[in-house]
This record gives sequence, structure tokens and C-alpha cells, in this order.
Amino acid sequence: MIAKCKHYVRPSSLTPIEHVFDDGWVTVRGLEQAEAALAGAGLAAPPEPVAVLPALRTLLGGLRRGHAVSVDASGVLPLALLAGATAAGAWSAMVGFSEFGVLAAADLGADLGRVVVVEDPGSQWSEVVAVLLTSVELVLVRPPAPVGGQLARRLVALARRNGAALVCAGDWEGAQTRLHVASSLWVGPDGGAGHLRGRRVRVEASGRGAGARPRSAWLWLPGPDGTVSGADLEAIESAPAELDVAG
Amino acid sequence: MSRRRVLVVWCPDWPVVAARAEEPGHEDTAPVAVLAANAVVACSEAARAEGVRRGMRRRDAQSRCPELVLVDHNPDRDARAFEPVLTAVEQLRPGVAPLRPGLLAVRAPGRFYGGEEAAGALIAEQLVRAGVWDCRLGVADDLFTAEQAARRAGPQETVVVEVGGSAAFLRDLPVGVIDDDEVAGLLRRLGLHTLGDFARLEPDDVQARFGGYGAKVHRLARGTDPSLLGVRTPPPELECEVRFEPPLDTAEAVGFSVRRTAERFVAQLADRGLVCTEVLIEAECDDEVASSRVWAHSRWFAATDLVDRVHWQLRGQLRTTTGVTKPVQLVRFVPDTVEPVAAHAAGLWGGGTDERVERAVARVQGMLGPHAVTVPMVQGGRSPADRQALVPWGERPVGLRPAELPWPGSLPPPAPVRVFAQPRPVIVVDERGKLVLVSQRGVVSAPPVRFRAVRQPVPAGRGARRAADVPDGLGDDWQPVGAWAGPWPVEEQWWENPASWAARFQIVTVDGRAWLMTCADDGWWAEAGYD
Repeated sequence: MIAKCKHYVRPSSLTPIEHVFDDGWVTVRGLEQAEAALAGAGLAAPPEPVAVLPALRTLLGGLRRGHAVSVDASGVLPLALLAGATAAGAWSAMVGFSEFGVLAAADLGADLGRVVVVEDPGSQWSEVVAVLLTSVELVLVRPPAPVGGQLARRLVALARRNGAALVCAGDWEGAQTRLHVASSLWVGPDGGAGHLRGRRVRVEASGRGAGARPRSAWLWLPGPDGTVSGADLEAIESAPAELDVAG
Repeated sequence: MSRRRVLVVWCPDWPVVAARAEEPGHEDTAPVAVLAANAVVACSEAARAEGVRRGMRRRDAQSRCPELVLVDHNPDRDARAFEPVLTAVEQLRPGVAPLRPGLLAVRAPGRFYGGEEAAGALIAEQLVRAGVWDCRLGVADDLFTAEQAARRAGPQETVVVEVGGSAAFLRDLPVGVIDDDEVAGLLRRLGLHTLGDFARLEPDDVQARFGGYGAKVHRLARGTDPSLLGVRTPPPELECEVRFEPPLDTAEAVGFSVRRTAERFVAQLADRGLVCTEVLIEAECDDEVASSRVWAHSRWFAATDLVDRVHWQLRGQLRTTTGVTKPVQLVRFVPDTVEPVAAHAAGLWGGGTDERVERAVARVQGMLGPHAVTVPMVQGGRSPADRQALVPWGERPVGLRPAELPWPGSLPPPAPVRVFAQPRPVIVVDERGKLVLVSQRGVVSAPPVRFRAVRQPVPAGRGARRAADVPDGLGDDWQPVGAWAGPWPVEEQWWENPASWAARFQIVTVDGRAWLMTCADDGWWAEAGYD
């Protein structure tokens, strides 16, 4: 991971730790030293990523700390990521989600006791996100306007420094991973009868960099009980009969 | 060791008394009902005589008593109005513990005022002088019995339960007095109608079947529980106050000047191995309490938290014409609930993240105000917007509807992922381009074929938000309907027009989005989105 990225370097008398967070360029070696120093000071982020729901693990192993993930501007993906992180005990913050479906998040498995919601940060959006990045493990944002490149880089640097993962509902310049719903089919309603039961979607994950190739997975998002589960052909064959996918 | 006795003062229908005190203009004899979430939480004697009861819906209450004066429930108002009552009792007997607005407990004075009945009479007299004529007092060995005794007293009367007489007193009371509907309901289903019947059960069975609270009532009914008031009432010397000379007229100045006092307050508690989880902050102007508010903390209050709370409390009230209108002379911190440090030891020494979260939240609250940071909660209800609540961080959720109850007419899962605070106007038409209508019997005029959002402006009163707030995928281009389900009649009052009738639909577009839409008298509205 380290060798792939470009890094700021600014030779000065700053300690290696400060190298990383200041504006200058730091060598790869400097970053490694800094991370080692942070680890020694007990400040470094634990290396394991923020957890995601088991059904999403084929797409991404977890939310890498210090990385930004961009997901569809609306929809269920932010809530699914929130559910995975909080269910694993990580504190999460949601900024700018004025239409937050709390019950849907709870049904997906979110631990609402670990969620902090800032519905409308107004003009202080970037300050609020910056403060939250220093203290919770996952920050989900829905920016009121596209975030400029410089601000985006600074926030990601802050996330890296504090071991937080950043998820943006919408485009994020420099996002390491993008998740989006490529196709979606609701089952249940039929000419006035029935009701929504579940949605079979194909979620695509694409990454940045040479090694990253697009991956996709068929999922029930949400399934009939509100949770996420695999919807591959094998999974469907063993699925409850009430989910009549052909219809 | 002499036994500590408990005296409880109960002021019936307190929300009504508080509403009358703060919003004068209604005749004292007029029937009044206080409503929360469209249900009666308290009503006056006159209203009760007309058949209004607690828990009744607004419409039912109004049909029983058409001249009923309706007042919205405001717990803050209840607490504020109760403040003079607390002060009046405090003048006679320090160490008053408010249990909730309208109900307080204090250690019963012994022989000092010439016996418990005489002391009760004296407190009643003091309260009448303070303007509260309907107060009822009870004295007993324990809090539960004292409260029951007060509830059985007449206005300004005192019912004294003899030392050791709790069990005999409770024996004949109905199980409905247990403040836990589940326990009470279960006992009734078991055919146990009085606390005396309940007392005859074996203690072990009770603990297993009725939980901690049931077991406590059971021990009381058997006369074997010696627990007394005091576990939650911190000693009054832990209060701290600071006087400003000259008085200060900005919230910033007060906030800056209370820092030392807040630190002393926290340190004093820490010396006793305690932390404060609920604190009452009072501000005085001209020797009168002008602002009083209980703040709760999801962990415990540190000195900086207290300073923030003082700041918010005063900033909120200095601007208004009510409350703090004059420069602040004195600020007082009163510990409302204290807990042993041991209960929070993990937070103090281990779980660093929570402390970091608390600090960050406090900073964001400092930037945007105390109500800008919320905690999501699920509650009971029928429409998606009713089923969730965002409770300000650090505040105790009040008035949430229980999610466990069955809510007939609520939507089957899955729940929508986007819930609009205000429904958005839409137009849904059939094949020939005519608006789809639903008859009162639930018959759809024609299958919906396409829909589009109605471009704002939103009519005033529908909570117009920013123009950019049109949700994604709900534009003003026609969108074909791929599949639909419904209608389901909407049982509850649809938005703000109580007489109207409405029905819900789930509408799926061909591009795989789904919407929850409502057909009402005044058109179609999108309430929530499933994608």
C-alpha cells in the first residue's frame, strides 16, 4: 500500500510524525518511519480495516483506514457500510444525511448506540467532518456540494492520521474504492398485489491503481428480513421459496 | 438506629397545573387536557368528570368534551413549574429529591415538627402558600409505599403508614399500582389482583419471572425490603455555586467564569468516588431562579462539559424575552444523579474511544449548538417518519413510542432507506394521463402508469426546505411505473389535515428504484424512498 502511493516530502526538523500530516512531501521511507513511530507511541491505527457486513466481503475486505470510499449518492450502500462497522463495535458518524432511514439501518444490523448523526452541518461542513475524523472510526458524509481536491486530500490525510475510514455518498476526488449498484430488481409487488419483499442488486467495486480490477457481486440488498445476503445463483437456489425471482 | 422514613409529596395532574400556571387565561374550572403524540397525558378534574382519560386519543377526548382546552405537553415546562414547589419544601426540610415533575420525596421529619402528620400539614400549608393547593402527602418506611400513601390522600392531607406497616398497607392495593404495565398485566392474567395475592408467591419464582423491579415490589408487599430513599439522592453539600459581582450579562462571560466552580464540583464528587450523570444547573437573577434545567450525560460530566451546558442553557434563554432577562448573578450546580466511579471504571481507564467521541461531539455541539448532534433511535409508529427519532446527544429520550407493540397498519419490512422529513408532492397518472384516485373503499381508479415530482415551490406550512433538496431520482420528468403494490389505508391522521383520508402505495420504477407514495385528499405525496 505504501509503495504505491505518492507522498509528500518536506525535509525539515519536524519529527517523522509531523512529516506525514504537514503539507510537505514525505518520502516513502519517512512515512514508514512515521507509522512505526506512531505505532511505538500507541497512536497508530490498528492495521485491520473497519469491518463490513459479511455479505460485502467478496467486494471489499473492509474499509481501509485512511482511505476514502465513494458510493452511490443515494441508496442503501452507506447504510450497509454503517451497519457493518457499528455491528463490529466501531463508532460511526453520519454527516449530512437528511433522509436517514433509521429503521432500515437497524434492520441491516447497525448498532444505533454507536452512531452519531449530524444532519445539517450547514456552512461548517468541513470543520465538522474534520473533528469527527479525529475521533470515530468511520465517517460517512453526504456533501452538500462536490468537495474540492485540496479539501478532499486534507480530510483523507486527517483520516489516515487518526485511523478513520471515510465514506462519501457521491463522488470523492481520489477515492481509492468506488462501490455502486449496477443493476437492481425489486421483487414483491405485482399489479397492486403483494408488497416489496427484497431487492436483488449487482454491486460493483472498482479500485484505483494497477492491481485493482473491478469486482461485482449479486446481493439481496435488502433481503426480505431487511438484512444483506448473497444472491448468487447458488445462494438463490437455497433461498426461501417466497422470493420468486423469476417474477 | 432510628429508621429513616420517607415523605412523598404528590401534586396530581401536574402537567395541567404547570400549563395553567404558564399560560393563564383559561378559567380554573375549564376542562384542560395535556396532549403528547396525539394522546392525553394528563387532564384536569373537570375534564375527567366529562369522561376524558389518560391515554385517550385527541379525537375521542374532544368528542367526550367538546369545550376541552388542549395544551401540548412540555416536560421542560413541567420541570420549571415544579421548581417553586421544590423550593417551598426545601425551606422546611433540605435534601429534596424530585422524582419527576409533580412528585418529590424528602426524608420525613421526625419529632421536630411534632410528628409526621403535623410535619405533613406544615408542608401542605407551605405549598398552598406557594400557590399549589392540590398536594397530597404520604409518609412510610420506603419510597414505593410512601408514594402509594400519597396517592390515597385527599387534597392537602397526609396519609401516614406506621413503622413496619408497609406490607399491611400494600396488601389490599390492586396490582395496577405497579409502575410497570408488563408486570401488572401478567399478574392480572395469573389471577392475582392485589399486592397481597402477589406477596404469597415464593420469592425465588418472582425473581425469575418478574425481574428486578417485580422482585422489589414483591419484597415490599411481603414487608421484607428495608431499602430506603437516599441511594440516588446525593448529599446536598455537594452543590457548588458561584456568585458574580457585578452580575454578568452574556452567556460567554458566565461560561468563562464558572470554569473554576465546575472543576471544584467534579473534584468534590471524585473525592467521594462519585461521578455525576445528571446535573441540575440553575442561574439566578435578582435572587430568583431564572433558569433551571436538568442535563443528562451519556457518560458522566467532566468540568468542561458542565461549562458547555451552562453556556448552552444561558445562550438559549438570554435571547428570549422569558427566562433570563436580567444579568446573571449566580450559577449553581446541583448533582441530580450520581453514580459510583466503579460503574464507569471501564470508561475511565479502558475504553478510550468513547471519551474521544464525547470530546468530538462536544466540539461539534460547540460549533453548531447542542441540538445539532443526534443519536438515531427506532420507535413504534405506522409511517416511516413516525418510526424513527433523532434524539439530541446527551439528552434522555422523552416520549418515544414503544417499538415492541404491534402497530396495525404499519408497513411490512424492508424499511425504506430514505425517509423524507416532509413528504414531497408528486403526480401519479394512469394510462390516459388522468390522476390516479382511490375511493374511500380502497378501490383504485386505474393502475398507475407514470409519475413525476411536482417542482417546488412548496406551499407554506409544508416546511419548505432548500430548493436543492429535491431527492435524487424524484425529478420532474415523467417516470414509468414498473410495478406497484397497494393501496393500504392510512389509519393515522394524514399529515396536518385530520379529516382527510389517505392510502399508501409502493411504486417501483423500471430503473429499479422504489418509492413509498401516499394518495391523500390533497394529492399524491412521496414519503420515503427504498433506494
